[in-house]
Amino acid sequence: MRRLAAMLLLIPLAGLAAGAADYAQLPGGNFRTALKYEDRKGATRIAPFALMRKPVTNAEFLAFVRSQPQWRRDRVARVFAEPRYLSHWTSADALGAKALPQQPVVQVSWFAAQAYCEAQNARLPSWDEWEYAAAADETRRDARRDPAWRERILRWYSHPSNQALARTGLQAPNAYGVQDLHGLVWEWTEDFSSLLVAGDNRNQGDADNAKFCGAGALSMDDRDNYAVLMRVAMLSSLNAEDTTANMGFRCAKDLK
Amino acid sequence: MKRLLCLLLLVACTPVLAASKPVPLPRDSVYQLPVQLTDQDGRQFAWASRRGKVQLVAMFYTSCQYICPLIVDSGKAVERQLTPAERARLGILLVSMDPKRDTPAALTSIVAKRKLDRARWTLASPSPADVREVAGVLGIRYRALADGEFNHISALVLLDANGRILARTEKMGSQPDPEFVAAVRHATAGP
Amino acid sequence: MKHASRYLALVLATTVLTLSACRGDDKPATTTASTDSGGSRKGDFGPPQGKPVDAILTSPPHVPPATGRTAPAKVIVTLDVIEKEMEISEGVSYTFWTFGGTVPGSFIRVRQGDTVEFHLRNMPESKMPHNIDLHGVTGPGGGAASSFTAPGHSSRFTFKALNAGLYVYHCATAPVGMHIANGMYGLILIEPPEGLPPVDKEYYVMQGDFYTTGKYREKGLQPFDMEKAIDEHPTYVLFNGKEGSLTGDSALTAHVGDNVRLYVGNGGPNLVSSFHVIGEIFDKVWYEGGRHYQENVQTTLIPSGGAAMMEFHLEVPGSYVLVDHSIFRAFNKGALAILKADGPENKAIYSGKEVDYVYLGNRAQPNMAAVATAAKSAHAGELTVAEQIAAGKDLFNGTCATCHQPNGEGMPGVFPPLAKSDYIAADTKRLPSVMLHGLQGPVTVNGKDYNSIMPPMNQLTDDEVAQLATYVLNSWGNPGGHVTKEEAAAARKAKPTNASEGH
Repeated sequence: MRRLAAMLLLIPLAGLAAGAADYAQLPGGNFRTALKYEDRKGATRIAPFALMRKPVTNAEFLAFVRSQPQWRRDRVARVFAEPRYLSHWTSADALGAKALPQQPVVQVSWFAAQAYCEAQNARLPSWDEWEYAAAADETRRDARRDPAWRERILRWYSHPSNQALARTGLQAPNAYGVQDLHGLVWEWTEDFSSLLVAGDNRNQGDADNAKFCGAGALSMDDRDNYAVLMRVAMLSSLNAEDTTANMGFRCAKDLK
Repeated sequence: MKRLLCLLLLVACTPVLAASKPVPLPRDSVYQLPVQLTDQDGRQFAWASRRGKVQLVAMFYTSCQYICPLIVDSGKAVERQLTPAERARLGILLVSMDPKRDTPAALTSIVAKRKLDRARWTLASPSPADVREVAGVLGIRYRALADGEFNHISALVLLDANGRILARTEKMGSQPDPEFVAAVRHATAGP
Repeated sequence: MKHASRYLALVLATTVLTLSACRGDDKPATTTASTDSGGSRKGDFGPPQGKPVDAILTSPPHVPPATGRTAPAKVIVTLDVIEKEMEISEGVSYTFWTFGGTVPGSFIRVRQGDTVEFHLRNMPESKMPHNIDLHGVTGPGGGAASSFTAPGHSSRFTFKALNAGLYVYHCATAPVGMHIANGMYGLILIEPPEGLPPVDKEYYVMQGDFYTTGKYREKGLQPFDMEKAIDEHPTYVLFNGKEGSLTGDSALTAHVGDNVRLYVGNGGPNLVSSFHVIGEIFDKVWYEGGRHYQENVQTTLIPSGGAAMMEFHLEVPGSYVLVDHSIFRAFNKGALAILKADGPENKAIYSGKEVDYVYLGNRAQPNMAAVATAAKSAHAGELTVAEQIAAGKDLFNGTCATCHQPNGEGMPGVFPPLAKSDYIAADTKRLPSVMLHGLQGPVTVNGKDYNSIMPPMNQLTDDEVAQLATYVLNSWGNPGGHVTKEEAAAARKAKPTNASEGH
């Protein structure tokens, strides 16, 4: 307990000492995910990890594309990114008015996000890590029981999606020092394709064993946690090469 | 005599010279993914080296209790619909989503147990870090369960000689999807 | 001998009659097993013939024309999912998720036995993935499993329409209730093979309940409120997704002598509708959108996620009011629409006057422009007394004029006057309090005694109270002045001793 307290003191300091792509350090621990899997009882153990404080921006991704031109939209393998990849940029290596430097980069596929993180000696966060980080509000590590917090998140969905994206970093950091996990863009996770949800989301728990081979059906434990429900719906509707105007990403790192 | 030898050598070399100028890989080929696989004999090879022959690809794992035996059955069922000539033009590759356990020994035991023809069937494992990328280009979704089993989509994917996806079916079993079989026959039809 | 034979004949006749009565032969045979249509088992008329047809889709309240087909066809339906902000009530906007850009979504009309190739396109600007479940589809999820579509992508699936009827379609992406509550529903009509009998007018109306965090008619962009949706406490109950969408200039129209058919759906997500047209009786109701009709129906139940067809013939001109007869929904949440019939009077059938304007008040004419102006100015911090008075007048005529009359003179002995009222002049500050908390007990106004009960009008917002009070203070010889939103809020908090009961 004292060690945990000591770690809690160190975290903000460690965070300050973090390098160029600003990472926050999250302590991990036991976490009760909203996703209920038949084969996974009790809490999930999350190892300590580092998570980028903000999603990757247009400017950061542009630097990556310039240093790794095989990821330019006019050269990328079609199998890694569908035709809309970076379509909002004015050209293959310039941003333009529709893609401001500090806006989160969108229209990126899972493969592109993976490649970017690899280039930073990082990786995409797992779903569990993302959910764990996103459970926090400004003061609490786990705000999920608070209906007011849920309403705030739902509010994002009530805003029409035809407005320009805000810059990253405008929201107050959460209890871990991470920003923009809600209300800005959807984010890729490393294991997004492990969310095995039938296209018809109403058969909760009624697993089609033949389609998904074997047991381990996914149902929502916390049906009030719409933020998670909607993210699961979103990620499970996509393939690895897909891009959308609202999907971005951030990177994570293992901590020794 | 020497001139004849030189001529013979030149003739022998020409096909090699011609082949050494590679045709660029299409942008929508799955072989764009630089993945190394290790097969049932422990031989390591680049996935892209499968290029040049029509392929039937699926993902599986050896300790599967439920459907994976059905994946093998499904592959065999497709094969049975082909003429010997068409069969000879088709390579079958099963890629494991469980490389930690699917060592060459485990893969070999499946080949033996299911009496698979090594001339046409290859079972192979990628490195653990590459599994999700392979699944990504093939459109396979999977999740590792706590007990070592996997939840996963089962699919047969048909690739042309250049690695482009021609067809895909999720219908498993000894009654193959007729539309998929038609696509396989079309792809393996002779010149 | 003659007597005996006659007696025998009588006995025989009686026996036959009795026997036939026991067998029930005198009952009309309407729904024995042999008259059912066979359902889906008999709904397959074979493969599609001829060239594929593009389905004609219409926006509400219009209905596509009859298919006129006599053989099964391949019909191509392309439906776009568009998330957009639209007005839900005057001055109130909401982010709807729509099929085809409207709430309800486009009306689809096909014939039993048709093969439908359905394309669902989710616009790139959408935030959410969506799919579609058509209740007329036989197959897993009604199509939902095969149409799960991410933003910027499209899906396609094919089904054969095996059962005739009027069916709801809706989005079934989790959380399903939220997608439906945001307006993702519509109707698909699968005509019986012989088609529907022709009528003069066909209209498409769909009821839905809506849940906003703000109160009814609270201005501005209102977010969806999940708690209210779960508790089934709607803020609005509306026809065709907008308060007043089918009133005033947008009312449905018809002529005396028309046979009118309504295709009415109920998207829910929660409420069942008690659908009624004030002033008309449904000559026929195809209850639940099925094959059989009932005749002479006043009010029909339309289940949530269900539909019904009804026909009626218009004999006299006037405004016929479509309502959900759970009546507070009609007058306090917006479940009201108008069908205006023009043509010659027929005194023999109905001699009375038009529906009284006051009965419907401002709900028949969505003329709340002044209220919207005031809301805008208030938001900008520039609200003027003149704007308050204009807004207050609109509100007064909608709510208060029913009792106190549009000219403020009240009704002698029953409703006190507001015009040149000494009660108001004695203490202008108590106006907001009386409006919000009501008033009961003896009171003397302009020399006359009154002892009635005024109910508390606490459904009014602080803005509305401020506007109304300012209007009253500046009308009919009253002292003038103005009331602010803050004063209204303060009055709301302080409950006086002569407040009306039923708080």
